[in-house]
Formats: sequence, structure tokens, C-alpha cells
Amino acid sequence: MNVIEINNLTKYYGKSRGIINVSFNISEGEIFGFIGPNGAGKSTTIRLLLALIYPTKGNAKIFGKDCIKYGPEIRQEIGYLPSEVFYYDKMKVIDLLKYSASFYKKDCTERLHELAEIMELDLNKRIDDLSYGNKKKVGIVQGLLHKPKLIILDEPTSGLDPLMQQKFFDLIRLENQNGATVLFSSHILGEVQKLCTRVAIIKEGQIITVEDIKTLQENNYKKIKVKGKYITEEHFNMDGVSNLHKNEDAVNFFYKGNINQVLKIISSNLISDVLIEEPTLEEIFIHYYR
Amino acid sequence: MNIFLREIKANLKALFIWSGVVVFYMIVGLTKFSGFMNNPEMLEILDSMPPAILSAFNMNAFNLTTLNGFYGVIFSYITLIVTIHAVFIGSGIILKEERDKTVEFSLTLPISRQKLITSKIFAAVFNCIVLLLVILISNYLSVLKYEPDEIYFKFVAVSMIALFCLQMIFLSIGVLLACAMKQYKRASSAAVAILLITYFMSIITDFTDKLEFFKYISPFKFFNPVSILNELAVNINYVLISLGIVVVCLIGGYTSYLKRDLYV
Repeated sequence: MNVIEINNLTKYYGKSRGIINVSFNISEGEIFGFIGPNGAGKSTTIRLLLALIYPTKGNAKIFGKDCIKYGPEIRQEIGYLPSEVFYYDKMKVIDLLKYSASFYKKDCTERLHELAEIMELDLNKRIDDLSYGNKKKVGIVQGLLHKPKLIILDEPTSGLDPLMQQKFFDLIRLENQNGATVLFSSHILGEVQKLCTRVAIIKEGQIITVEDIKTLQENNYKKIKVKGKYITEEHFNMDGVSNLHKNEDAVNFFYKGNINQVLKIISSNLISDVLIEEPTLEEIFIHYYR
Repeated sequence: MNIFLREIKANLKALFIWSGVVVFYMIVGLTKFSGFMNNPEMLEILDSMPPAILSAFNMNAFNLTTLNGFYGVIFSYITLIVTIHAVFIGSGIILKEERDKTVEFSLTLPISRQKLITSKIFAAVFNCIVLLLVILISNYLSVLKYEPDEIYFKFVAVSMIALFCLQMIFLSIGVLLACAMKQYKRASSAAVAILLITYFMSIITDFTDKLEFFKYISPFKFFNPVSILNELAVNINYVLISLGIVVVCLIGGYTSYLKRDLYV
């Protein structure tokens, strides 16, 4: 069953582009990654799903129901963590969370305290006394306290320290094991790779590809830099090499394929240094999806 | 109900301040009255003043040396205070969610936009009613020593109906602008501008007969304290016009807010 179905969703802000013909489905139980650089349209898509803004064209269904028409009803089962959390500043954390809980048709008190404990959140502070990271923790607790069936995360890790990020990922995995579907938007490829089973990549408002994370990893390009006086471009004239160019005494290129083959060539030459790294998301966009 | 209660709580401090303003005004105003009361000299001074100035302050129609007359003058200022309060709370209660970027919280909860603004409008109306009660009670307590007659209390009671109508008109204008304006942050100032313009229109009509039609544009002309005192009733036609304005503004407000894209 598809938890989210997006069909040709298009949004223009006046004349400027939001997203264009975005379509993808997320099935039940998936952790679905949504990656793209800033301004690509990730948040626009998510805000459309939450009916904060209305589509210019196309539609989206959540739990099989139109997300605009049945907004309030489907949001009973959605937990949303925005990239930047803003709450009523004058309220105490506990009052805000109880206020939030009062909108759901179930008793959330127990889960609320459980989550606050996991995230080490001080419930008695006022919202405006909290640091950015701590506000984010309030957002996490608020987004999960009603045990939602669909969790929507929009760049959730910014502001959290690595330890908290880990706890948060564990929490999301656990929710997922208990049956929750997750839409995870991020511009950090690493964290998406760690967590997700499938990803959609969005660029300038359009979906470039929707792929299994495994395929993506197999297809993964390596960014290689070989330094050496006698090394030339001709050495790497082989399949799987792209964007080959020489820069002073170093040869740079992207490589996709069996890593052993390229290592053989490198080791059979006299070199002074070698650097093999993951390309940044930016570079993937430029070279992989051209 | 939870939204309503939260809004009441969030507005409590502002309500205290506004209440403080009206209580202070009531006490100062009526203390001044002790110098005017049954004072024939005062009457002479007022008679010698140019009529235009008197009408600007709504003093020409009332005998300031009587309590009824004095309240009639105070009434104009109270009108201004409660309508400014109404216009601010009406626009503020809607636009603050976008301004403070809390829409991503409040409108991703499982509630519809209709419900959200309905609760908010009820909370705003509640605030207006509390302010009226504060006026009524503080007025009652501060005039007791002048031993007002029954007519005075009827005059005050009927004037409250007029005040309530005016509050609702400006509250709904505030709601409409906050819901409909793209530049929602300017909604409060725009609403206050409408309020002040219509207020000055109502004063100008007192100076000249040529701008008679302002009477129908400016809500401040709907309820004339002089006729309220004379008839001890408000003109029902203007109550209906007020209701019409409120309904039109709210329908406009709801429809635009339901269609609105909410950005952060």
C-alpha cells in the first residue's frame, strides 16, 4: 500500500518556480529519503503535503486521501518536524507539548514523557529560553508524541549534536520497525544513505531520479585524485572514468565501476599521493545526473 | 476549546494593559467632572468657546455640567480606545501565527483552518467583551459618589450596545485585512489607518453640512451619543448595518484565509 502518492505536483510562487511535475510514491513501512540542495523544492513538496500551501497543478494523496481536502483528518496520523522549529515563545515546554497532544484523539501523556526522557529535554523551561538544538528536541517530541503512522522530517538533524543525532536516528528506526513510514528530507547524502531504503533526488524543482539506496551505492561514483610527476591522463583512459583532467602534477576524475581495476593502475605507477573520496551531492548533480 | 483557551491566556497581559488604560481614563475623566459639576462658570467658559472646537471634541451637544453630558463626551474617547483595541486584537490574533512563524506548528496539527480562525475570533470577541465589562464596572464605581439617576445608568447601558457594535465592526475589519492581505504584516497598520480615517470623517461632518454622506461611511457616525441619551436606545437600522459589515468582513476573511498559501 502506498502511504504517499504524489502525482504531477506543481507549485509556482507567482512566476517563480517551486516544484514542477513532481511524482513519486512511498509505500508503507519505508524510510524514504528526499535529497537535493537548498532551494531545490524539498520543503515546498512537504508543505504541499501538509496543506500549508496549495498546488498550482497536480495532487497528492496520503493514506489514499487527498492531502488538501482531508488535511485535518490525515494529519491525525502525521508527525512533522520542520527544518526550523518555531513555537509560541511564552509557553513552557510541557504546556506546549500538552497543547499539541490535546489535538489528537488518543492519550499521549506517557509517550510524551518517554520521548522527553530519551531526548533529555527539560520540560519546565520556557520555549524562548531554549537554544536552537533544544528547540529542535521539542520539535522531535512534539512530532512523535502521538505515535504517527507517517513521519515527515525536513532536514531534522541541523542543530543537534552528533550524540543526539544518533539517538534521533535510533528513535526513527524504532518507530519505523513499529510500522511508521518515514519521509526524510535532507541535503546531507551521508545521513540519508545511513537511514533510508529508497531515495528521490530533486534538482531545481524536478525529480531527477527515484532509486533504491543500494543501486545508488553500487552506482556510486568515487572522486579520485592521483598525484605524481609521471602520471598523465592517458593512464586512466578506461571505462567508468569521467570528467578527467590534469591539474599541475595531479590527475582528477570521477570513477564508477570496479574499484580494483582503478587501484591496479594506480599501484602500477609511481605516485606521490592518492585521494579517493565520496563526491559531494553537488558533484553528483553535476556529473552523475547530467 | 484548547485554541480558544490558549489565545485567552496569550492575550491576558495585553488585556490587563488595555483594562488599565480604560480604568485610568475613567478615573481621571470623572475626577475632572467634579470640577465641572453644577458649575455655572464652567458653562459660561464653554459657551464662549468657538463652536467648531466644541464640536471637534463632541462638547457642543452636551451640557458638561451634568453627569449625563459629561459621560456623553467621555463616550467618544472610550469609543476610540475600544475600537483601536478591537482592530489590533482582530488583526493580531490572525497574523501573529505567520509573523511568528508558528503556522508550521499550528496548521500542521489535525485541525482545519476554519476551526483555527473561528476559535481565534471567539477569543478576540471574548477579549472585547471583557474590556466592555471593565468599562461598565469602573464607570459604575467611579460615578457612585455623584449619585446618578436611573436615566444615567440606562444611558450607559445602551451606549455599551453601541460600543459593542463598533468593536465588532473594527474587529472584523482587522480579521479581514490580516486574512486577505498579502503583506499581512501591514494589516494592523492598515486597519488602524481605516479606523482613524473614518474617525476623522465623523468629526469633519460636524463642521460642515456638505459632507453629509460621510455619515453612512463612518461607523463612528452610526451611534450618536446625543440621540442615545435622548432616546435611550440605539438606532436598530445601524445595528443591522453593523451586523452586515461584520458578516461581509468575516466571509471575506474566511474565504481568503482558506485559500491562502502560508509561508514561513
